[in-house]
Amino acid sequence: MRKFFEVRWHGRGGQGTVTGAKSLSEAVQGTGKYVAAFPEYGPERRGAPLRAFNRFADEMIRIHTPVQNPDVVIVVDPTLIGSPDLLEGITPDTIFIVNTEKSAENTKQSLSINSQKLYTVPANKISFQLFNKEIPNSALMGTFAKACGNIISIDKLLEESEQIFAKNLGSELVDRNLEAIKKGYESGEEI
Amino acid sequence: MNDKYKLKDWQELPIGGVVPEGGNSADYETGTWRTNRPLWYEENCIQCLTCWVFCPEGAILLKDGTKPNGQPRKEIKEINLFHCKGCGLCAKECPVNIKGNKIAIELVKEEI
Amino acid sequence: MSKILAITGAGAMSQAMRQINPDVVPAFPITPSTQVVEDFSQFVADGLVDTEFITVESEHSAMSACIGASIAGGRVMTATSSAGMALMWEMLYVASSMRQPVVLTLINRAMSAPINIHADHSDSMGARDAGWIQLYSESNQEAYDNLIMAPRIAEASDVRLPIMICLDGFIISHCVQTMQMEDDDKVREFIGEFKPAYSLLDTENPVSWGALDLQDYYIEHKRAQHMAMQNAKESIKLVSEEFYQCFGRKYELFESYCLDDAERVIIAINSIAGEIKEVVDDLRNKGEKVGLLKIRSFRPFPYEEIAESLKSAKIVTVLDRSESMGAYGPLFTEIRTALFDVPDRPMVYNRMFGLGGRELFMSDIQNIFEESNRYLENGKVEKVFDYLNVRGG
Ligand code: SF4
Ligand code: SF4
Repeated sequence: MRKFFEVRWHGRGGQGTVTGAKSLSEAVQGTGKYVAAFPEYGPERRGAPLRAFNRFADEMIRIHTPVQNPDVVIVVDPTLIGSPDLLEGITPDTIFIVNTEKSAENTKQSLSINSQKLYTVPANKISFQLFNKEIPNSALMGTFAKACGNIISIDKLLEESEQIFAKNLGSELVDRNLEAIKKGYESGEEI
Repeated sequence: MNDKYKLKDWQELPIGGVVPEGGNSADYETGTWRTNRPLWYEENCIQCLTCWVFCPEGAILLKDGTKPNGQPRKEIKEINLFHCKGCGLCAKECPVNIKGNKIAIELVKEEI
Repeated sequence: MSKILAITGAGAMSQAMRQINPDVVPAFPITPSTQVVEDFSQFVADGLVDTEFITVESEHSAMSACIGASIAGGRVMTATSSAGMALMWEMLYVASSMRQPVVLTLINRAMSAPINIHADHSDSMGARDAGWIQLYSESNQEAYDNLIMAPRIAEASDVRLPIMICLDGFIISHCVQTMQMEDDDKVREFIGEFKPAYSLLDTENPVSWGALDLQDYYIEHKRAQHMAMQNAKESIKLVSEEFYQCFGRKYELFESYCLDDAERVIIAINSIAGEIKEVVDDLRNKGEKVGLLKIRSFRPFPYEEIAESLKSAKIVTVLDRSESMGAYGPLFTEIRTALFDVPDRPMVYNRMFGLGGRELFMSDIQNIFEESNRYLENGKVEKVFDYLNVRGG
């Protein structure tokens, strides 16, 4: 068993990818694990590709360097599919979670991955239905719970997220975010 | 020089260069700076206290006195030569001197 | 109730400030320490602290206001970074020379140019002679703990010096990490009341601050300041011990990690110590006698104690994250000085790394230990000074 469970997010500036990584760590913190979340900071340019990372472990996490061999790759922006950066350092066991409305089969080809497990989720569509704008994080977190139930179960994710969202959002928005998580969990398609 | 002003060792100093007492400029002798000494002529003085106001060293000392009509007032007592630095402001500002008929206060060369 | 939470380094510092509840916080935000001030100003707005929050027009003014408020008798804190600290420069010396226990969170990052906002120790290392106590922190937890201890260390009656708590920009300041936050009341009890030495607002006992100090006294004041910094060593130890009794986390002047029988040692400051510990663990599992000495207190610098801890060392690699153009790295020069009087002293050499935030991966640290092994076998250090992870060698 590897010491760390590592997640790499690929998004674009202004999409909330960094917040997504932070929220995921805060939620996993609730399971009693040690967590870390950090972005790869460059100048903050809206639309520019950026990466963020999570590490989870059963003991104190002492390393801070970017994730090199991710257990999970989360693709926040569908237009990044096809970028070779997504495949950097992946192993046959790496799980992909991709925000797309295309079929899993189709996406697998576009990503050019073979044996790796892939979950697709129409997170933008879910977000438009609930918020009328593009904030795919919550749905992607739901899919994460589906793909990585060993890290956090959907029930625990909902319970923790409620508290995390409530720190900054009103009850109506908290509910919609929880709904987005549920939808992300339910509509995540595995291949 | 009194013992208070003996240069201290570093262990004896209050921290950070603080001067932990008020009013200690009274102990500082500015009289040694003086090359001209003020002479005050009580008989010509109208006790207006202008010199007292202007003296930068507080060297002009006052005492209680009475006006010709008997009312109480402050009057010049003397000039404290421990503090007087001989700047001459007192003589320059004195209205009696300015009027020009008489001299109430003047600066003369320090005798050696 | 103390609680375990996931929080950024900057967030942890602002929480510590909230718990300390200082009388005055003058601040001018600068990336990446901005978040500390931003979070704290929210606490002020929400009425969670009694602090007088002063928004100033520059860092020079921020530190000036800190000094004024401290002389007036308040417990004072602020936060800055890099260029922000550089603009405080003149006032850093005034704060320490006037012996005001101002507490500064310094999020270490590179000095420009070229423009860079990432982790690098050139800001605090440049200020190492400014008369401030400097404590460094590996993680969010350590940075938080150091800040909780800072007022007590600085305010000790035989110290009365300003203190800066340093942590790496972005790597720690913007990284969410699991840490334990202590109970508000317990922290406040630990910190206690601030008793100013000569308050300007104490009209019963009038004092003058900032008098002229020429050839007749300046050097005596510096001598006394040097002594205060020496005393800070004891203050750090005492407060750290009391902190351990209260909160259960142990801190010393430096951390000895697998040092007892270590032959090959890396000495480092701040977050990179985490990666080094991982590598030390790996190599120890393979039976290699390696260890880490992590500096916590850089000012005062614990020369004798470090020399004592390196007794079994045969070769020491000192990692500096701050250039001193035309000289060795600042940590290296201290370590070499510390080792000079040791009989059978170990070989010691210097590696510059991580300037402007350049990563040093665990594989790079493995390479360091391999290199020091080679040097040890050959009985000779080939390059006393070199750069790590720089293109072109
Ligand atoms: S000469 Fe100057 S110092 Fe002396 S009494 Fe006159 S005004 Fe004061
Ligand atoms: S200013 Fe002249 S007249 Fe007035 S009190 Fe002084 S010496 Fe007398």
